[in-house]
Amino acid sequence: MHTTMWLVRREFWENRAIWIVPAVIGVALTIAALFGRIDLGAAVSAEQQQVIAPTVLLAYGFTFFAVMSIYSSWYLMECLYADRKDRSVLFWKSLPISDTATVLAKLFTAVIAIPLVYFLAADISTLLLAFIVSMRAHAYFGSVLWQPELWLQLQVLWLYVIVTTAIWFLPFTGWLMLVSAWAKRAVVLWLILPPLALYGAEQLFFGSHFVGSQLTERALGYLPRAFYDHSNHAAWATTAIGTDTITAPTSVWRLLNPVGFVSSPATWIGVLVGAAMIYGAIQLRLRRAET
Amino acid sequence: MSAIIEARDLTKNYGSQLALDRVNFSIESGRIVGLIGPNGAGKTSALRAILGLTAYRGHLNVLGREPFANRAALMQEASFIADVAVLPSWLKVEQAIDFVAGVHPRFRRDRALALLAKTQIAGSRRIRELSKGMKTLVHLALTMAIDARLLVLDEPTLGLDILARRSFYDALVNDYMDDTRTILITTHQVEEVENLLTDVLFIDQGRIAVDCSIDDIAARYAAVAVAEDKLIEARALRPFYERPLLGKTVLYFEQPDFARLAAFGEVHRPSVSDLFVAKLS
Repeated sequence: MHTTMWLVRREFWENRAIWIVPAVIGVALTIAALFGRIDLGAAVSAEQQQVIAPTVLLAYGFTFFAVMSIYSSWYLMECLYADRKDRSVLFWKSLPISDTATVLAKLFTAVIAIPLVYFLAADISTLLLAFIVSMRAHAYFGSVLWQPELWLQLQVLWLYVIVTTAIWFLPFTGWLMLVSAWAKRAVVLWLILPPLALYGAEQLFFGSHFVGSQLTERALGYLPRAFYDHSNHAAWATTAIGTDTITAPTSVWRLLNPVGFVSSPATWIGVLVGAAMIYGAIQLRLRRAET
Repeated sequence: MSAIIEARDLTKNYGSQLALDRVNFSIESGRIVGLIGPNGAGKTSALRAILGLTAYRGHLNVLGREPFANRAALMQEASFIADVAVLPSWLKVEQAIDFVAGVHPRFRRDRALALLAKTQIAGSRRIRELSKGMKTLVHLALTMAIDARLLVLDEPTLGLDILARRSFYDALVNDYMDDTRTILITTHQVEEVENLLTDVLFIDQGRIAVDCSIDDIAARYAAVAVAEDKLIEARALRPFYERPLLGKTVLYFEQPDFARLAAFGEVHRPSVSDLFVAKLS
């Protein structure tokens, strides 16, 4: 545990973008809230406010997690490659730290530590937004952004997203780590070409689309499993403001589908596949001292 | 005396290329061993195997362990510099000290700080801002601050000026070395280490060419500078190598009859570097 703490700390030293990027997004969004145009162009009723409020807050938080998914992919792609490229892997290997501990600390950083940093940044930034917008556009929002229930929902939503995406996308995480531990150069090509080749070969020789459909399912299958969709009408409310139509969840509680997520076989097949690839990354890490 | 490193039939190949070919050697505690060989002789492969950085065939025991499966445990008691300039460029000097102090139970922070104080390198500097020689000094300070039973140095002084090299080797012998430690060192600058080595291992084309202590060199090898007129007679004693020197020819003998050699001139013990050139030419 002690060593793990140092290993994670090390990742934060090396990858200062882990906190710089969310800090920059937070500052940019706060500036936008301070000086941006806030004019809905029409009067807003009290019921409409109830629909707009969560939409605004969700959009804010979503911005952070969207950027994070790109950054985390980049982080994972580099994490077992960069120190082989600059040969500093030999220094790390001169310390009494097993390769398993090293790889798992990087996995922990990618799926737990980095999301928590973004979670914190999203919260601080959203609080600032709520404060600024309440002051600047009291006519539209009143105090609707300050409901404790709404804030609780947001916290639960983001933590739910962090945990469920970490589980669902573990095969992607594992693949990124495996390639990062494997590639001697051109990591991006190794990332893309093997799945592409498999896809092409399958279609050519068997005329089937198993690989392609699995990849698509993994990429797009998260939302329908972890959340209820529009068919659950009670969970959604629609309102028209001027020429815009806004649809927002009435309550996060009606949206989350943890039972559906956990009981889906695809969730656990993904965990197995991802774990196997991470095991492969550890084995490669043992054997590859250089690029 | 107990063996710190024991290799039997140690073999390493990269594809069809054989880097180590059934190598046997044993290194005792308290020795300073020079592993010396030309480029591509298998030095690095041997060191990598000893340090658990690579899989191999044959039998290898380092500090009582099989190194490849137990690298992390081995590194509690062994430390190495596997080449120069491998500290990560983004790391700050003080972060490096904190990190190693955090994960290494035998790291002595006070000793690292004392070593760094002599170099005038500020702790807030990043490795990438340092000159090549300064990087080496930082790496050496980190490594020498570990109370290791086995220290492996692969070209430790590359990039250092002559003053820094001299002071490093002085510190190595006077402050660091004691009879509980063992040092394995490779370098191309044989002259520099020759006075501190207790043993030499010459390695050539994946095989051990010479394995003996410095004391044994005097008993096993001899060099004599022979004048032109006695050359044919001296050659009859079957030197394994000869080279011209200031109008004479120096002949090198293995297991010679010292009494007969004395007739041709002053018999002396060949230096390690001369012996290296003589044996591997």
